[in-house]
This record gives sequence, C-alpha cells and structure tokens, in this order.
Amino acid sequence: MDGQDSLAWQVKVAIVRCLRMPIKPEEIQDDLPLFGEGLGLDSIDVLEIVLEMQRTFGVEITDEHVGKRVLRSVNTIVEFIDESRRAAG
Amino acid sequence: MDDLTLAGRVAVVTGGSRGIGRAIAVALAERGASVAICYREREAAAEETAGLVRAHNVGVLVAQCDVADEASVGRFFARVRTELGPADILVNNAGIVRDGLFVYMKRERWDEVLATNLSGAFLCTRAAARDMLLRRWGRIINIASASAEAGQIGQASYSASKAGLLGLTRTLAREFGRQGVLVNAVAPGLIETEMLAGLSADQRKDVLRAVALGRVGAPEDVARVVVFLASPAAAYITGQVIAVDGGLF
Repeated sequence: MDGQDSLAWQVKVAIVRCLRMPIKPEEIQDDLPLFGEGLGLDSIDVLEIVLEMQRTFGVEITDEHVGKRVLRSVNTIVEFIDESRRAAG
Repeated sequence: MDDLTLAGRVAVVTGGSRGIGRAIAVALAERGASVAICYREREAAAEETAGLVRAHNVGVLVAQCDVADEASVGRFFARVRTELGPADILVNNAGIVRDGLFVYMKRERWDEVLATNLSGAFLCTRAAARDMLLRRWGRIINIASASAEAGQIGQASYSASKAGLLGLTRTLAREFGRQGVLVNAVAPGLIETEMLAGLSADQRKDVLRAVALGRVGAPEDVARVVVFLASPAAAYITGQVIAVDGGLF
C-alpha cells in the first residue's frame, strides 16, 4: 500500500481523475498494464494521460516511442517523472 | 454576458495581410481578442491589417512566417506566446493557388500548394494545440473552400488541399473534443478577393449563375462566421464545415 504522499499514489489519483474512472486509486497496482488487458485503456485515453502528466507533474511526452515506453504502468510513469526531474536538476 | 465576446482571448490568424484573413483578424479584434497575424511576403499589407486591429485597443503582433516551413512556424508561435500569451484561437487561413489544367500540372506546383494550404495548417495546429489541450479550451478554425467538395476545373491541387483540411478538421474534432478544443471549417464560395480578381467578366458571370444569391460575398461575410465559431455561442459545435457561399449547390 502506497503512502498517500508517494509519487505513485499521485499518479494513480491523476489517472483516475483525468479519465473519470469509476475506481479508486488504490485499486490500481503499480505494475498493472494500463492498456489492453489490465486497466483496459484505449488510444483516446493516451491523450488524456499525456496531458494530465504535463498538467500535474510538468513532464512533457511529445514522442510516440517515449509515450509507449512510459505509459505502460504506474511504475514506468513514476520512473519517467523521476528521470525528467533529475534531468531538469 | 455577450455570447460573441472574445475578450481576453488570444487569436492567431495565418495569412492575415489581406482578403479574408484581414477581415477575420479585424472581426476577432472587434470582439475583444488580441490578434497575431503572419504574412509571407506582404509586409506593408500586414502592417495595415495590424493597424486596423490595433484600432480596437487589443494586443497585436504581426510577423513574417512561412507556414510551410516548420522552423518558421516554431519561431512565430514562440513569439505569440511571449508577446500575447498562448493561443486560444487558431485560424488556419494562409493559402495559395497555382491553378492550371491537371495535364499541365507540374509536381513542384502541386507540392507548393499542398505544403502551404494543408501542411501549413498541420504545422500551425501542432504548434498551438498543446497549449489549448492543457488548458482545456481552444478553437481551431480551418478556412477551406467550396471547391473542396465540388471540385473546380484547373484547381486540382487547391481543391485537394482544401478537401484535406476537411479530413483534418473532422479527425481533430474527434481527438480533441473531450479536452474542450473545438475544430471546425468554414468553406467560402465566391468571395471578393484578389484570388477572384483573376477571373474575366465572362468567367465571373458564368460562375455566378450557380450562386443562389446571384452575387459574390465579402470577406466580412466569412469573418462573421469565424467569430461565431470562436465565440461562446458555438460551444456545442465541432467537426463541422460551414459553407459561406451564398447558396452554391
């Protein structure tokens, strides 16, 4: 169980909020695949999440390959945010 | 509140130096929007448009930009953002014609038209859309043409580029709809501009036969519809093509 101040928790809250999903953030496991089997998101949801990541965490995804790598699970999103923040110093 | 107010909005009109683009820039300013216009070659005409915009006491930016050139588009939108703020309204109006019968049409001429009219809209939309999406408000209005759907002899490249804009309009309406960014097209028919001035009196008479109102339109007729689509009054309209052609069917 995440602490409610962890980055993973904030990412889950952001996902549930932007997709208006009828589930609670705690129901999303850190390594659950977001697309296809798993959380079952589709291509139009990609835009929602990409924009929400920029609005909430200030990280910009502008490339499809990066998007595919990053938007796999909460874990990969957290890694990307950490990476971006380290790069920005 | 006035349903057509654009106070506080930032609008970008490509190809704003004359004709329909000028009328659109001025009409948006009249409703309170700050307006950035770009021109490719006609600096003096663009400055004249800027003067007409400024008369409405709104922010104005006029800059040289070739919409077919990615770097040029990047520089233009960076300036818009710094000097006026991120764009709320984008009017993809910049367009050129290189008419000629298809059998004589050179590849270079075809490419030139597609690069400005269609790829230009792509590049400008890409430069502006993300800010709109992030803020969940935006209006993109593509200036197409009656010839997009009807076709016109000698206008293969122009018609194809304008028909391309209709596909872009409908696709982006779907992709951006949930984010509050509305995308529509306006399809002018025969409008009194330099593009039309090339017709002979006979050709003019000929084409007017097909217009229900029996006369050509003014750039302001098109501008009014653009203002409407950009305004709060059009909040539930997206993916549409509005013909402003005096009944050309």
